[in-house]
Amino acid sequence: MTVAISHLDLLEAEAIHIFREAAAQFRKPVLMYSIGKDSTVLLHLARKAFYPQKPPFPLLHIDTTWKFREMIAFRDKTVRDFGLDLITYVNKDGVERNVNPFDFSPSVYTDVMKTAALKQALDIHGFDAAFGGARRDEEASRAKERVFSFRSAGHRWDPRKQRPEMWRLLNGRLGAGETVRVFPLSNWTERDIWRYIQREELDIVPLYLAAPRPTVERNGQLLVVDDDRLPLLPGETPLVQNVRFRTLGCYPLTAAVKSTAADLDSVVEETLTAKTSERQGRLIDHDQSGAMEKKKQEGYF
Amino acid sequence: MTAIASARRNVPAPGSPTTSPAAHVQASGGSVVARTNPRPAAVSRSTTSARELNGILRLLTCGSVDDGKSTLIGRLLFDASDLYDDQRATIERSRLAGTSGLPDFSLLVDGLAAEREQGITIDIAWRYFDTEKRRFVVIDSPGHEQYTRNMASGASHADVAIMLVDARSGIKKQTLRHAAILDLMGVRRVVLAVNKMDLVDFAQGKFTAIADEFAKLTTRFGFTEAIAIPVAAVTGDNIARQSENMPWYTGPTLLGYLDGLPSRITQATGQFRMPVQTVLRDGLDFRGLAGTVASGNVCVGDRIVDVLSGRSSRVLRIATMGRDLEIARTGQAVAIQLEHDLDISRGAVLSGAGPQPVAANALDVRFVWLAEDGFDPKASYLLRTATDLVPIAKLNISALLDLETLQTTPASRCAMNDIALAGIELGRAVAVDPFADQPETGSFMVVNTLTGASVAGGVILEARAAESPIAISATGFVVTRATLAAGLCSDLGDNAADRAEFERRTVELVRLFGAAGTAVSFDI
Ligand SMILES: Nc1nc2c(ncn2[C@@H]2O[C@H](COP(=O)(O)OP(=O)(O)O)[C@@H](O)[C@H]2O)c(=O)[nH]1
Repeated sequence: MTVAISHLDLLEAEAIHIFREAAAQFRKPVLMYSIGKDSTVLLHLARKAFYPQKPPFPLLHIDTTWKFREMIAFRDKTVRDFGLDLITYVNKDGVERNVNPFDFSPSVYTDVMKTAALKQALDIHGFDAAFGGARRDEEASRAKERVFSFRSAGHRWDPRKQRPEMWRLLNGRLGAGETVRVFPLSNWTERDIWRYIQREELDIVPLYLAAPRPTVERNGQLLVVDDDRLPLLPGETPLVQNVRFRTLGCYPLTAAVKSTAADLDSVVEETLTAKTSERQGRLIDHDQSGAMEKKKQEGYF
Repeated sequence: MTAIASARRNVPAPGSPTTSPAAHVQASGGSVVARTNPRPAAVSRSTTSARELNGILRLLTCGSVDDGKSTLIGRLLFDASDLYDDQRATIERSRLAGTSGLPDFSLLVDGLAAEREQGITIDIAWRYFDTEKRRFVVIDSPGHEQYTRNMASGASHADVAIMLVDARSGIKKQTLRHAAILDLMGVRRVVLAVNKMDLVDFAQGKFTAIADEFAKLTTRFGFTEAIAIPVAAVTGDNIARQSENMPWYTGPTLLGYLDGLPSRITQATGQFRMPVQTVLRDGLDFRGLAGTVASGNVCVGDRIVDVLSGRSSRVLRIATMGRDLEIARTGQAVAIQLEHDLDISRGAVLSGAGPQPVAANALDVRFVWLAEDGFDPKASYLLRTATDLVPIAKLNISALLDLETLQTTPASRCAMNDIALAGIELGRAVAVDPFADQPETGSFMVVNTLTGASVAGGVILEARAAESPIAISATGFVVTRATLAAGLCSDLGDNAADRAEFERRTVELVRLFGAAGTAVSFDI
């Protein structure tokens, strides 16, 4: 008789398989750690893949300097608890030019503090492979993404240079100047991420749980006033409301949702029956049409 | 649907009223992690939303342009009711905007900008939906002749294929091509969706004629099951809902049929095979062979063979983080510790006591050429098996398969999208199986040594063990004169200078092995 393995077990095994293939084939991999729920799952799977060893690669966090403070505290605790190596990288040039989410458009800000920073960090350390938590279900332009996504020199993503992937065979042989992004969560959905966090009882940043937080409403989006760097517009007074986040990023660019789901089980329940997809909370995506695809070609994942 | 939150635990109402932002920031800054609360044991896990689905089915869709493939996929996503409101709103808007009064479901399967401009899909897209029972992965690949490679790579992942035809035009030349590619890539189940039945007045005769022709066509291949279902993707007839317009049809709906199918993974009940990906160590006590069970299963205590070295041992421990397992099944990723450390590394394929993989130096294969540049007899290629990568010494293309006639014609070259038969000789042995016996360890890719590009992907028809010049005795590894002549010294002839060089290399080899502390005997 055949015993059916649950879909989460299969997704987990597939991710572990991908981690091991990449670690065996690439010279110097790194795990792009963004502290959010996808990164949390990614890191957990990396630990599983190499148990009882530690993951044979460091974590890389691109710090835009505008992350929620609770994210940074969570990051540091995670690294300590699991005894991991963390590299944090800030685009100093961007900081010097005071590139911030208020005086610059979201796309310029993201380009400098995230995309350029990531490329710099990968180049400085000479990483030939970077694990990321991207999923194919996130957005139309990602539906065709490979598990091993190749980047030519300058980190450019060329749809025509992507390699066909067949069966479970992952070909990681690099051509001159090539690097690769590796996506172990390719076949996961947003719902799977939550189900898995619940099943594995993973710790997540408390911002995912509803709590009373000071908020202001702008363009129909709820922003949380994380620190005194958020310039209040005339007439704005922060209003304390019960909110949580479905996705985490830079606080001035990440919208909260009103919610009373204050523990993980309620968040999962709310998410599994949610009516809007998560990227609606990510303000940069509304910036221009086809935005993600362009960003990807430029190296934003 | 039961709300888990209320079923589980009474959560204290969120926060006592917090008045000042400053006070809040302090409060939340204090707690660094959100903990998962331990679940009361008594709570049932069977609530709809928290359930784990019963496996994954990968579904390939193929059809010619305008047969309604995008519409069908959109409809499947829509009917499986896993959509978000914003997506539903898009569909509703399209209904109002159009002139036909029908919604445009294909909007749910939008592609890349470059492809939108060309108005054609040129790659494989992956989409996901759930039914009550299981996860579905839709692999959307184009059906054009010039995209044989995309369809073939899509098919390599598929448990089942939906072949789409327009009820008005029926089976086309394309349909035969598609069936042939599916068969080559090991898809064993196919469904013919006869679409746009609304445009032929839901006529039974139309459907039966097409279904009969399909039945005839599919007997030419190795499918274990091939059925036809009359549908109308736009209206949803026989997709998730039994069609009232076709009372004469008593078979399953498309989704109903798919929901009941086994996946490749549950079918992979053959011999135990686990390609070793890497070796995990923990101090001196643990050396785990890490990999994913490709087929069959293995228990603690089972005898394990490594066909490349010809050695065997027993399973001492099956480790995963959190807990050890008694049995590892198909699809599970584990680390296996053996009773006796066999010094096995990446590339080995662990097998059980039954039929072994072949330690092969020569293969007969069939592949689809994927690269834009055709086969170049002067280029250097590598063979990528499950976890091994071996230089190809010789690649001899013998014939090309014509997908329209299913005849082969002799050839020595091949170009993109060609299906070729070839013989491959390898620089050293790899552990593989014939695809027909063990698909999971019977497939491969050909890699361009220089660029790294994946230039071909295919299946092994026959694997032959060249007589091994390396003898393995009970005491271990023995290097003979023949071993050296076949490899290390193959460039040397029979003159005095070459014999001296042979001598020198042998002595050097003995010295190196000795220095490395490796027990190797020389029988020269
Ligand atoms: N009447 C009718 N039209 C359909 C049906 N399925 C698809 N179509 C139409 O056929 C055309 C081609 O469909 P599309 O999904 O874009 O085809 P694709 O090129 O195979 O992806 C569109 O105008 C659809 O609205 C159907 O079941 N009935």
